[in-house]
Amino acid sequence: MNSDLIALFSETFGISEEKLLPDATLESLGLDSLAVIEFLFQIEDKFGIQLPDQATPPRTLAEMMKLIDPLLPTDVTAA
Amino acid sequence: MTLHRRVAITGMGVVSATGNGTAEFFSALLSARSGIRLLDINFPTGMENVVAGAIDFNPDLHFARARLLSMDRVSQFAVVAGREAMAQAGLGDLDTWSRHLAPERFGVSVGTGSGGAGSTDAAYTALLEQKVARLRPLTVVLAMSNGIAAHMTMEFGLKGPSSTVSNACASSATAIGEAFRQIRHGYADAMLAGGAEAPLNRGTIKAWQAMHTLAKLHTDGAAASCRPFSIDRTGLVLAEGAAMLVLEEWESARRRGAPILAELVGYASTSDAHHLTQPEAQGQARAITQALADASLNASEIGYLNAHGTATDIGDLVESNAIKLAFKSGADKLPISSTKSMHGHAMGAAGAMEFIVGVSALQAKQLPPTAFLNNPDPRCNLDFIPLTARDCSGLRAVMSNSFAFGGSNTVLIAKAA
Repeated sequence: MNSDLIALFSETFGISEEKLLPDATLESLGLDSLAVIEFLFQIEDKFGIQLPDQATPPRTLAEMMKLIDPLLPTDVTAA
Repeated sequence: MTLHRRVAITGMGVVSATGNGTAEFFSALLSARSGIRLLDINFPTGMENVVAGAIDFNPDLHFARARLLSMDRVSQFAVVAGREAMAQAGLGDLDTWSRHLAPERFGVSVGTGSGGAGSTDAAYTALLEQKVARLRPLTVVLAMSNGIAAHMTMEFGLKGPSSTVSNACASSATAIGEAFRQIRHGYADAMLAGGAEAPLNRGTIKAWQAMHTLAKLHTDGAAASCRPFSIDRTGLVLAEGAAMLVLEEWESARRRGAPILAELVGYASTSDAHHLTQPEAQGQARAITQALADASLNASEIGYLNAHGTATDIGDLVESNAIKLAFKSGADKLPISSTKSMHGHAMGAAGAMEFIVGVSALQAKQLPPTAFLNNPDPRCNLDFIPLTARDCSGLRAVMSNSFAFGGSNTVLIAKAA
């Protein structure tokens, strides 16, 4: 998983990076659907990208990252 | 037959400028210790020192970061106060208490003047100052006034009636009164009732400054700036905080062995129908008289009155006159204090905070003073317990006044258990 995204996730939700395993469900990390939307908005603003509308919101950390990763600029730290 | 059940107070919780937790809060008031201080606010026109009842509050000590995304400061205060009240009532664990009390019969009643005003302020700042193209997706749920009640129901698993009262400075007193009726008339067996306010944001402060009712910084220091019933008063002090009480049907509380702190016996709500900002003694006196009738008490049985006492010239004078009208010849003998001199005016939370002062006085048999009352206004010539607390071993019943902009008057009465 992208380490910059993991760091942002960790900072936003106050969860240590060791706990952010790919298969962890967002629910088990204490995020409800509203918190997920809030994070996706933050990603869009921070990296200047637009995520596609999702019929089914991501369930796990890996699913969320898969949604974001391909749209990120090559050098995310410069964003 | 009208159902008329008794209502016990079994838990209380406070988050305030004078202390967090009911014990710390009340002990500060008995020591005449003010929590009012200077707050630095960065307005677009520059920094300003604002006199306020501001709370040092670290939300990370109370909530997970993911949850804070959807909780305005006002809901954070409310839930922390609610946790204390629920724990004191022995209702800290849902699995345990739901064996004795049905969650479907346990409701929430919350008063607030402006709900998530900080989130509204942040949204306008982002939109107009930072010129963002879109707002945070949670802006609506952060700002909505009933977000407070919603967080309380989710935190404690309460599935009964839920309501939010916005009655300006009388909001939480009215919320408690309406919760009292829910139980008394059989619509609920228990209610978590009170109020919360977080008004110390730029827009709200500027709006209050424009009304010319805010106190000036006192030469003795910021803490001494709120001086109710004093000839040298300069106005009210905005404050933040929350106060919550657990109310329960008397027999149900007894059966489960709950600590009964006091009995809530009287509530009345009246309107002046007179003026948006100028209070009227007749309307206030009517609320006092009706609350006494509701409690089946004589005026002489009230041993302490926590006044609304905001420290505005007209507010203090009209309330003094209302007390004289309602208590007649007994007004001179009634011990009264305005604890806003120490915790400031917590707006929608004020009524609940001050009702808790009354209930704490009933329990401790001690009356908190009106701080900084060195030079009483001769027109307010009642016993406002100046400067120092007083013992009152025979205290059996207390009253709390809450009078709001808009002419809404609410009075609550509690009796010793």
